[in-house]
Amino acid sequence: MIVDRIVTWARMKSPWIVHFNSGACNACDIEVLAALTPRYDVERFGILLKGSPRHADVLVCSGPVTLQQKERLKTIYEQMSEPKFVLAVGTCASSAGVFNGCYGVCGGVDTVLPVSAYIPGCPARPEAIIDGVVKLLKSLKK
Amino acid sequence: MGIALFDIIVFPGFIFLGILSLVAEFTDRKLNARLQNRVGPPWYQPLADFIKLSTKETIVPESASSRMFRALPLFALASASTAFLYIPIWSTTSLFPFSCDLIVVLYLLTVPTLTFFLAGWFSSSLYSEIGSIRTMTQLFAYEVPLYMALLGPAILADNWSISGIASYYYIHPLMALFNIPGLLVSLVAAQGKLERAPFDIPDAETEIVGGTFTEYNGRFLAFFRMSIDVELVVVATLIAAVFFPLFTPANAIVGFLIYLVKILFVIFLLAVLRTALARLRIEQMVSFCWRILAPLALLQVLIDLIVKGVLAH
Ligand code: SF4
Repeated sequence: MIVDRIVTWARMKSPWIVHFNSGACNACDIEVLAALTPRYDVERFGILLKGSPRHADVLVCSGPVTLQQKERLKTIYEQMSEPKFVLAVGTCASSAGVFNGCYGVCGGVDTVLPVSAYIPGCPARPEAIIDGVVKLLKSLKK
Repeated sequence: MGIALFDIIVFPGFIFLGILSLVAEFTDRKLNARLQNRVGPPWYQPLADFIKLSTKETIVPESASSRMFRALPLFALASASTAFLYIPIWSTTSLFPFSCDLIVVLYLLTVPTLTFFLAGWFSSSLYSEIGSIRTMTQLFAYEVPLYMALLGPAILADNWSISGIASYYYIHPLMALFNIPGLLVSLVAAQGKLERAPFDIPDAETEIVGGTFTEYNGRFLAFFRMSIDVELVVVATLIAAVFFPLFTPANAIVGFLIYLVKILFVIFLLAVLRTALARLRIEQMVSFCWRILAPLALLQVLIDLIVKGVLAH
């Protein structure tokens, strides 16, 4: 019991993220990067940006999933070790947004991967992204 | 037998060294954050990272050599922790001193670097192989200045054991002033040893994903991170023992507090270097080490030889 509590606590306090652009217009990516700058200082919550999906716990996805990126997104997700979460940043990642119905787009991130949290906004503000990550972590407790 | 077990498990073995290395990592990260005008991580951050990583699922890549992949992190941690036994902490003698243990400690500190190289190599992924080759290239660049900078004080003290060096400078504290170039060289070379900016070329995450550790995850990554932290403690202790002759052999508690202040000061200097400098390219790093650091380290050896000759007459 107590071991489980400690492990959950550690997972909540140390989410390492990897960022993937599955076809966004880049505005969402810039907001994700802005959220990682010293101004917002996400290391307060233990969030670190990792280069390798093997190290990461949270896959931060931005943009609709294009047909080209679909397989790559899946590969990256499979390279991460359990427990892993997917965060959809921006309206596009949540529902394909303005690109919905486009010939090269297969929809939001949830058409390919199980998404744990959606952060709306076009683009989503850094505060919203941090809030989304914190809410995702709080939901781990339950 | 009981005492040996106590030494291995509690003090100065895994528990003591583990706590100390977590404190060291936290200090380093917090200082780094404060120097960048950030708030920085909370005090339990390294512990949370360690627990989280060790409870994660562990994936061994199909193309990797499974046995080596699993064994290497343990080698790194074991050799880094063993090096700690031969360095004086509060008194001028270490726990198990013997003559020439300076050389042994330096080689024990090389073993983790070699395991990083092998780890990258046996992961057989493109990025980790590039990272391993960079680790090796870097090793040849910083090792010589680091060794020479630490051998200078040994020449002056006429003793090749760290305990001997520490007791010599404890008796003649002013002699330590001759070793300031060596201190500077070893601080910079230690950044290469610990693979931190400006020498974090082997795991440059903006160029080669995760460098040597690209394929590592779960508890193996936790062990590697732990061994880097232990290495940080060992390097800080080594620099503190050789270059800062402040010991109180009579009083262990005061001596231990002084020891903590000393290593935190060394970690502070290392953190300032890491924050202030940006990453170099590998060939810039090699030419910097050979053109600037190595001559400075030679100068240190020269100064010590001259001082020793003058003193002898
Ligand atoms: S949500 Fe808006 S800003 Fe983000 S990728 Fe889509 S169109 Fe671009």
